[in-house]
Amino acid sequence: MENQQNTIYLNIAGFSIMLYSNSNSNFELEEGYEPFISDKKTTEADITIRCFDDMPIWPFSQEELVFEAENEDQKFYSIFHARNDLGFLIYDQQNPGKVQQMAVLDKSFTKWMIFSKPNSENRLFPLKYPLGPIIMHYLTINSDAVMMHASCAFDGTQARLFTGFSGNGKSTISKLWSEVGNQIINDDRIIIRKEKDGYFVYNTPMYYKDISKRAPLGAIYLIRHSPENILNKLSGALAISKVMAFCIQNNFEKQFIQSRLNFFSDLCMHIPVCELGFVPDESVVNYVLAHEKGGDK
Amino acid sequence: MEIQSLYNLKSKFVAREVGNELILVPLTGNVAQMSEMFTMNETAKFIWENITETTTLEELENSMTETFDIDSETASRDIENFLNHLEVMFLKK
Repeated sequence: MENQQNTIYLNIAGFSIMLYSNSNSNFELEEGYEPFISDKKTTEADITIRCFDDMPIWPFSQEELVFEAENEDQKFYSIFHARNDLGFLIYDQQNPGKVQQMAVLDKSFTKWMIFSKPNSENRLFPLKYPLGPIIMHYLTINSDAVMMHASCAFDGTQARLFTGFSGNGKSTISKLWSEVGNQIINDDRIIIRKEKDGYFVYNTPMYYKDISKRAPLGAIYLIRHSPENILNKLSGALAISKVMAFCIQNNFEKQFIQSRLNFFSDLCMHIPVCELGFVPDESVVNYVLAHEKGGDK
Repeated sequence: MEIQSLYNLKSKFVAREVGNELILVPLTGNVAQMSEMFTMNETAKFIWENITETTTLEELENSMTETFDIDSETASRDIENFLNHLEVMFLKK
């Protein structure tokens, strides 16, 4: 976004977010956030984010480290817990080990402070990846909502959510559904919310620009590649644990886990869950349409 | 895995009952372990729920024979299988 501002309102998955900066420092958001900007300034924000243009001395000690998000290649972020606050060290994805940002979230999970330094062009991006998605995850903590690693396609009546390990074909299968006229809600990250009229899926801001989307959730598929199309309906504890495995979660607090277990227990009682082995061509669409009501092949 | 070791591990999990089954989710400090949750059938759920700080194997066997209409040999084998299974899961972690 080219225009620098001191206050921006966002609406992401129906949550209202107010970002504002201290004093005269301005900040910007990546273009993926642009369709989520809201002009509704009168309603009270669900969360506020105060942006600072400097990084302080880190106030948490190593003993207060409670969670680390990393893989074999790199570290994404670390979480510290002290004095009822959560502290986040966000690492630069291009420079391993370098701290990109610091953030503090208060105990109500509604007030963020983000500390970043302007880049070489003197521009400040407080929601730079991976902090933006982390904030969206903590948006869901206080409500009946979760964020999933998933793709999702909407046929005009219901949305089908596809989740599974990386490489299992989330983008591939949503693209196959789009080729028969479905709208892709997103192919990587989805927020599910329980609302008065049922469960709804939402997209979230990505690194590219895409309109804000919402659709009623009709079914969840745990996908994998397979030599033939095959569908198995799951229920009970197995369905809950298998779907929950693909939600974004920081399981260092019992209350977080309990809240997720409650959400997924209810979700799996109302929304069908199936394991879907699929051949990556258009045959899977017809196969699902023919078999999803019955479950087993 | 010894029965007392299992009791000590119970506090590191959050459990949710679903019908006759149990879901166990471990408290974890690392994103890599987040998909490692366990489901337990009715027998395993019974064993998990009845292990206390002072439970002995004999007491657990007796409880199982009374609850599930099985002989003590079967109960003993179920408990041993359960503990071995958990040991494998925890070693994985």
